[in-house]
Amino acid sequence: MPALTCFHCGEPVVDDAPLVARVGALDHPVCCIGCRAAAEWIASLGLQDYYRLRDAPPPRAVAVGDYSAWDREQLQRMYVHYRDGGEAEVCVLLEGMRCPACSWLIERALSAMPGVREIGVSVPGKRVRIVWQPQIGTLSTLLGALAHLGYVPHPLDRESLNDVVEREQRASLKRLMVAGLGMMQAMMFAIVLYAGALEGIETSTRDFFRWIGLLVTIPVVFYAARPFFAGAWRELRARRPGMDTPVAFAVALVFIASIVETLRGGAQVYFDSASMFVFLLLGGRYLEMRARHRAADVVDALARLQPAVAERLDANGVPESVGVHELRTGDCVIVADGATVPADGELVSAECRVDESLLSGESRPLLRHRGERLIAGSIVVEGPAQMRVARVGAETTLSAIVRMIGRAQQQRPRWARYGDRAAGYFVCALLLVTMITAAAWLVIDPSRAFAASLAVLVVACPCAFALAVPAALARSLTVLAQRGILVLTPNAIESLIRANYFVFDKTGTLTERTLEVVSSESVGRFPVDQCLRIAAQLESGSTHPIADALRAAAGCAEAPRARNLRAIAGGGVEGDIDGEHYRLGRAQFASTGQADDDDDDRVVLADSQGILARFEMREALRDDAAATVARLRGAGNGIEILSGDSHARVEAIAGKLGVDEFRSRVHPEQKLARLAQLRAAGMNVAVIGDGVNDAPALAGADLAVAVGGGAELAKSSADIVLAGDRLGGLIEARVIAIATLRIMRQNLLWSLVYNAAAVPLAAIGWVPPWLAAIGMSLSSLAVIANSLRIRAATSRAPAAAPAAAPSLTPVPA
Amino acid sequence: MNIVFVLIPLSLVLVALAVWAFFWSVNNSQYDDLDTPALIPLSDETSSRPAEAESKTP
Repeated sequence: MPALTCFHCGEPVVDDAPLVARVGALDHPVCCIGCRAAAEWIASLGLQDYYRLRDAPPPRAVAVGDYSAWDREQLQRMYVHYRDGGEAEVCVLLEGMRCPACSWLIERALSAMPGVREIGVSVPGKRVRIVWQPQIGTLSTLLGALAHLGYVPHPLDRESLNDVVEREQRASLKRLMVAGLGMMQAMMFAIVLYAGALEGIETSTRDFFRWIGLLVTIPVVFYAARPFFAGAWRELRARRPGMDTPVAFAVALVFIASIVETLRGGAQVYFDSASMFVFLLLGGRYLEMRARHRAADVVDALARLQPAVAERLDANGVPESVGVHELRTGDCVIVADGATVPADGELVSAECRVDESLLSGESRPLLRHRGERLIAGSIVVEGPAQMRVARVGAETTLSAIVRMIGRAQQQRPRWARYGDRAAGYFVCALLLVTMITAAAWLVIDPSRAFAASLAVLVVACPCAFALAVPAALARSLTVLAQRGILVLTPNAIESLIRANYFVFDKTGTLTERTLEVVSSESVGRFPVDQCLRIAAQLESGSTHPIADALRAAAGCAEAPRARNLRAIAGGGVEGDIDGEHYRLGRAQFASTGQADDDDDDRVVLADSQGILARFEMREALRDDAAATVARLRGAGNGIEILSGDSHARVEAIAGKLGVDEFRSRVHPEQKLARLAQLRAAGMNVAVIGDGVNDAPALAGADLAVAVGGGAELAKSSADIVLAGDRLGGLIEARVIAIATLRIMRQNLLWSLVYNAAAVPLAAIGWVPPWLAAIGMSLSSLAVIANSLRIRAATSRAPAAAPAAAPSLTPVPA
Repeated sequence: MNIVFVLIPLSLVLVALAVWAFFWSVNNSQYDDLDTPALIPLSDETSSRPAEAESKTP
């Protein structure tokens, strides 16, 4: 029987008589009060269509917090932009935004609120820009409304309103359009000229069409192709000719030659070639840019990790909400259960448990006693905790990690741009050959000098040469994006082929972030499954991973019968079921101090007479982890696991996967050192990770792969992001990358062979310019057609359709 | 044949208009979100359009 799933978040509903939300005329089961509130609020706004339109369930609705601190002036000054006319504007990052239906829902729900004037939702950026009238509505009510919908709102500081990504995207779209329209027009007029050349045309008509061709090419060269000229200028000033230099030279030369021909009434013009060249290159760049923008940037990640508001205790011990930037060393702060630690400091209250998994890779919450250190960005799991602030802002460990990422990124060896440099040499050689041709013909027959040197310039197609790599790359990026694999840096595909040593992080990469019960042992008077049911009852109110695991292990769902449930910080839970008092948690807690066994992996159930059962917990391995590791090893690659977690846990996972090389309790610096050691040994190292603690390691590897759904920070320094949480995407990416390399080589070979054959013919004057233009176009088209085969080359590899793919697809398939 | 001297400048004017219209639409967020508008007609709700008030603001 399929388990009931929550109407709002899609998670299984554990109880027999679950909560119901009344939506329309029907009752729907929901898993928690937060989800019920969200569903009913959505329905009360008349927006229940959301449930039909969305294609991915949103995360579990969180209990709506108190956002009144956001109305403080000190905070608003940093986050809110006041426009002329009294309107305020804020940019909010929304955790949990997944699909276009979310944006529809947010737009609809917010615009019904008083005072809201404008809403702009960006699904790929997970942002919403709100313009409202502060006299009518407050920021806290807006944030509360977003939280009500089931999202976690993080206001971003004012600079993010000035959206660079959006501007870049719009500018390149306009350039692409101008180049496309210009290309079509120029080709239309070129066809007239080609036909005229074959069938005869009056000179005045011919010149008219040439001038028109020039007219439509001017915007293409001066507006659409400007990034290439700007790039070439930068490269030349840095004395490092890259990809932009040959492109800019080719465009400029063909354009200038065509103008000269138009002015002196020469044999041939090439405006169509120039504009087509610009359009195709811009198209490739546009796709590349879209893929790059899809990754979250460091700012987003920090917004998630670092809370903006803290609860500070004033002199009288009364808590007040203040902005984190207002905290000073020595302040006393209260961190609520489930909240994020706002600054580095030491614990003042007796003890608490913190989840540092994002920072250290430690998968289980750690126990902290009075006087021990708490790190900004970690989450208090069993609290509340009272702490004294020691370091704030840029001095915190979290900021240091971010700086380390920056440093490691600078240290990243610049991938040798062979192709670029070769193209640079090609252009130089081409200019040289052209000059020699011109000089030779000036001696032999000056009247043919211009036609011959122009033919050399045009027939020697730098387009095919310059397009050989980008066309194949753009194609493979598209194919990869359709499969939920986002390539963020240009060298990633080449690095993926070269990588022969794969270093995996454990927590969240090879394993799920959830736990599973591996063994249950009954030592009391009840059978095992009854013990499990009791345990699940006791945990019925908790969202802790251990509680989830116990509920999953108990299987069948029952109505909650437990009473007087009480969670004890650092211990476990206790409560009454059918008149009997039970305790569940760490051995010492459950047996009221009789047992000294203090294994974090073990949960013990006891009643007043003694221990009833023990449950062993373990992280669940990802479904495709074993297959992925096996495939990589089968291809002769080295595999290693580097984890910040304890030795026993890492060993268990490594044993399951059959990996011999593993290191546990590794700090970020040690990871970087280990990578440097491997690379010194001649390995091409790929790191696959997800946590923030991986971020420096990711940046220091030859190739960094982040598994989506993990910390956004890891993505920001990653070369490749596997969206949709599929590790198997790595194998697919490798297959496609190898196909890409093959196609790229074919393209380069073709353009070299073509040029080597055509240039000498043109130099000795056997190729008339019109034939040169046709050869140039055909050789470019051959390169593009060959690049389109990348899908065909990889379609044989069976690929499970990723759930996340539709929203990532940049072009309709 | 002289008609081309009228028709071709005319076509250029049309192209210029197309480019202007495209620029206008890009600058007015028409291309920022290409997925959501496709869902709006699927909605059963036909009454109030809350977006109307907002579209009047410059």
